[in-house]
Amino acid sequence: MNAVATIANAVGSGRTSAASAAREVTRLLADADARGLNATLHWSATQVAREAEEVDGRIRAGAADLPLAGVPVALKDNIVTTEAPTTCGSRILERYVSPFEATVVTRLRAAGALIAAKTNLDEFAMGSSTEHSAFGRVRHPMDPDLVPGGSSGGSAALVAAGVVPAALGSETGGSVRQPASFCGIVGVKPTYGRVSRYGLVAFGSSLDCISVFGRSVDDAARVLAVISGLDSHDATTVDAPLPPAAAEARPLAGLRIGLPREYLPDDLHPGVRAGVDRAIARLRALGAIVVPVSLPHTAYAVPTYYVLAPAEAASNLARYDGARYGSRKTGTAGDLRGLYRATRGQGFGPEVRRRILVGTYVLSAGYYDAYYRKAQQVRNLLAADFSRAFREDRVDLLLTPTTPTPAFRAGEKTADPVAMYLADIFVCGASLAGLPAMSLPAGRSDGLPVGVQLIAPAFGETRMLQAAAALEAVLRGDEEVR
Amino acid sequence: MSIGSKDVLHVAALAELDVPASELQALVEQLGRIVDYVAQLNAVPAGEQAAPFLAGPHAAPLREDEIRPAPLARGPDAIAPEFRDGLFLVPRLGAMEDE
Repeated sequence: MNAVATIANAVGSGRTSAASAAREVTRLLADADARGLNATLHWSATQVAREAEEVDGRIRAGAADLPLAGVPVALKDNIVTTEAPTTCGSRILERYVSPFEATVVTRLRAAGALIAAKTNLDEFAMGSSTEHSAFGRVRHPMDPDLVPGGSSGGSAALVAAGVVPAALGSETGGSVRQPASFCGIVGVKPTYGRVSRYGLVAFGSSLDCISVFGRSVDDAARVLAVISGLDSHDATTVDAPLPPAAAEARPLAGLRIGLPREYLPDDLHPGVRAGVDRAIARLRALGAIVVPVSLPHTAYAVPTYYVLAPAEAASNLARYDGARYGSRKTGTAGDLRGLYRATRGQGFGPEVRRRILVGTYVLSAGYYDAYYRKAQQVRNLLAADFSRAFREDRVDLLLTPTTPTPAFRAGEKTADPVAMYLADIFVCGASLAGLPAMSLPAGRSDGLPVGVQLIAPAFGETRMLQAAAALEAVLRGDEEVR
Repeated sequence: MSIGSKDVLHVAALAELDVPASELQALVEQLGRIVDYVAQLNAVPAGEQAAPFLAGPHAAPLREDEIRPAPLARGPDAIAPEFRDGLFLVPRLGAMEDE
């Protein structure tokens, strides 16, 4: 599949048609399914063709401003659409079809994009490997025994396999950047408030961000520009649209890049470390100034996240009770509470049940101050660490590894939830602080992709994307780093 | 281990979740591991007066307090397990439990 700009220019200028792009993507989706990636949950050649016909009609009628004309984009299956089910990878929403459409979907369609597929995910976006889907695990496109990362593993796998040039995922604590790193593609999490959450099924409302995968920085930036901006349906959005050309590479001379020492522990995987070193060398060669900084509360990011996110999840997922939508189990008691407990006990999978129980525990009487209130305070300290680096150390961006290791084997971490949570150790911090951050490929270690992460001040996406584009041009993400 | 089976069953009741007896011991171990792990936050000197973090804009935008239409592609009758005469149908509440 071609790049976003290539498709949009070709379709928009009439050199090819959206119908042709639709035929190509449905062929590639069928191939991906035949390969057993298990990356998709719903797609329909008829529906994609219908969308393409509409785009071609708009172009024939003279529509000029379609920045994503004919571009196939896949959606994580926790972003609601009215044509296809939105299951969140859960039995409890197995046949649920939303009565309304997410704002990001409306904006993608207005820009001429084709909604190609709904993608597999960890149930309700809770996981780091996409092994926790009720509909089976997603395979890494380079090795089916490996995980693609998670929770947006289906979207990441489709982009990495070249089926679509871009896809939407969602981040609560790194669920786009981590799979982007594992799969060797670009993943961009915007500032909290940059993109509307209307129609994103809620997990942790103070953390959730719709985010973008692309095969290149430019691919991701073009999609992000379309979906960002104020939305009257989401009071946390800010009137700060992203310019369409946000990812134009700019000279890096004089740009100050902070290197947080807490993100480079002695036991960091050597291939990941080599990827970071390579990025530092290339940044310096481009004229950037790389300086050490400290984010002293980094070690507390994962425990803070695993108090706050489950607490918010326990509250948000209370709505799945078998009364108004989704599946229903009546239970043996025959009364209303029996219905609630049977529906939720049988409808949610093990990881979701675990997080609901943890969240309920940390919010319950006697534990609220010790866990939830304390985690809220530490979240403030983590955000203050970032603010200090940007203001007092006067760095423009931070550079870190995205993940502590390359992609791991399926089943390797499923028995120990804390081991799985630590896969997010370098991505949780920016989520807790609401900052924009992205992963881009830095090379390969023993053939597996490793990524580096850039973190920017709030609403600093343009500078982050420009630096990433310049770095991308010299990093050669498909080269061995050792 | 900071958590026992009684704690798990109590929290499961609060969360309206059935926990099969066959899964109880594994849940006790996993939740204990998670709670012990996050307890390291108590080592952070955050101070009693430290303000909680607020996500999003500092001032929420306000609008007129008026009902706006929310056009839906399908009504609740199309997505509810049981719906009749404008009402969601559920079993009776039953006896209150002593929890």
